[in-house]
Amino acid sequence: MADKKQIYLQPKPVRIWHWLNALGIVTLCVSGAQIRFPEYISLLGDYRAVIKLHNTAGFVVAISFSIWFFYYTLVARNMGKIYLPSRDDLENGLLRQAKFYFLTYFLGWDNPHHPTPEDKFNPLQKSAYLAIMFVLVPLVSLTGILLTNVAPLRSLIVMIGGLKILVGLHFLLACSLCAFLFTHVYLATLGSSPLAHFKPMWTGWEEVEEHDEAAASH
Amino acid sequence: MTRKLTKKYLWLPLLLCLSFPLGVLAMENEDCLGCHNDRDSVGEELFIDAQIFDHTVHAALGCVACHESVTEEHPDDGLSPSKAVCLDCHSEVNDEYAGSVHAENASCGDCHNPHQVRGLADVSGHDLNQQCAACHDGAEMVQQHAVWLTQADLHLAMLPCISCHTASEENQIVLYIIQKESDAVFGDFVLSEHADLQQLAGEKAPQRLIDLNGDSFISLTELRTFHRKPANQNLRLQATLMPKEVTHRVDIRDNRYDCSFCHAAGPESMQTSVLALPTAAGSYQRFEVERGAVLDALYGTPDFYMMGTTRSASLNILGLLIIIGGTLMPLGHGALRFLTRKNRSQKGE
Repeated sequence: MADKKQIYLQPKPVRIWHWLNALGIVTLCVSGAQIRFPEYISLLGDYRAVIKLHNTAGFVVAISFSIWFFYYTLVARNMGKIYLPSRDDLENGLLRQAKFYFLTYFLGWDNPHHPTPEDKFNPLQKSAYLAIMFVLVPLVSLTGILLTNVAPLRSLIVMIGGLKILVGLHFLLACSLCAFLFTHVYLATLGSSPLAHFKPMWTGWEEVEEHDEAAASH
Repeated sequence: MTRKLTKKYLWLPLLLCLSFPLGVLAMENEDCLGCHNDRDSVGEELFIDAQIFDHTVHAALGCVACHESVTEEHPDDGLSPSKAVCLDCHSEVNDEYAGSVHAENASCGDCHNPHQVRGLADVSGHDLNQQCAACHDGAEMVQQHAVWLTQADLHLAMLPCISCHTASEENQIVLYIIQKESDAVFGDFVLSEHADLQQLAGEKAPQRLIDLNGDSFISLTELRTFHRKPANQNLRLQATLMPKEVTHRVDIRDNRYDCSFCHAAGPESMQTSVLALPTAAGSYQRFEVERGAVLDALYGTPDFYMMGTTRSASLNILGLLIIIGGTLMPLGHGALRFLTRKNRSQKGE
């Protein structure tokens, strides 16, 4: 495999965050479904246990979110570069990438985006992750924090519009995250082989084609 | 002669015996309260708040019913009037109470002030916990319950202790009207008082705010309508769980440890309800509510939400559509991917 090269794409803190997050969010989705529909779902034990599990998983996701946030802002200091779509990304990249996923991929063409440690995500990924990590996850966490502290934060909840609005928002945001999960896992199988994108998230190293010269500079 | 005299005047003490208590019985509550409703005259210990006392069942019996030995000369006679023992009338309570954990620690008067006590239907859930809080410190109770109960502070604030600590096997939901304390966005909600509701109801009786057809029976439709009415936007219905009967045993109902006793859609425990509205006299009047999923009818209340119980069907559908939307990409793209796999076959997929 002389034409393949290994690049260190996912540093350890990012991998720890990712898998904690994954475990947390899957647990939250299943336990959340049981909390909302207790008479139909009883996968995770009785109601008291499932509430405890849901709250714990929420706490784990919040902790892992801080690992992610502080790693990119304070240690790697490249949050903006990685997550903010550039002007070119918005003007040409989005369309280019969408064209690849919905057309040229089926024709057997190459992915127009080649990940490097400083430019991990294609324009579509950047936009999606920006919305998820800066809007969806913080909002679902905030509503969750309010919902687990109803008595002390009652007046704040009333100001927002009441418990019902809060619960509705939490539920719909959670459904969106769950919907994203399916798409996310599926898109991860679109590498050069179905497991090609899973490996770097576990080991940190991604195998890329030799022509990716920028990648060699890690 | 002496014997004759004795016989002659025998009727005198007899008359005294008969007429004396009659005279005392003629004493009206007002006669007593003239002094006893004035803290300055009688001091804190003997003070009776007439406004509260007048609405108790005991007031109807009259002061003398319990303080039999009081004389017309009171307090100049220097005697302190007798006090009835609660069990003289409430003997049936004793057998039950003797078996409770409270019996060793509290006598009747420790929980019930005979000059203030009212029946279960006449007090609100908020009043009910005051008896318990006299001995059981609120913060300590929250801590003790938090060992097993999620958001113990919230549960203890919203429910009377006797929701779970009762010998009553049956229970019912009691609905109250609460209202915004002020127009401030941050405004908290407080229990509505009779005057507040009367003002809103105008010339009609306050129950007509909910009981639209005036049949003193609240249908689920009337509850829903109450919420949808824009004029009622500062009013909300709040629900709490109460035992159906008053018991003097405070057993812990084991089924309350199972959260789904309440937290499930339409459990049997939550089918019967009453609406409690404040009366001008400062107590509560109860109105029967149609049997059924009353909490679902409360769905319009933005502040009332019980996990697992009051979920919205339309939000469920919307959520499901979002999740289905998330599977469309994998399914659609995956199918096309499978059909065009030959195009990528040289690349090792």
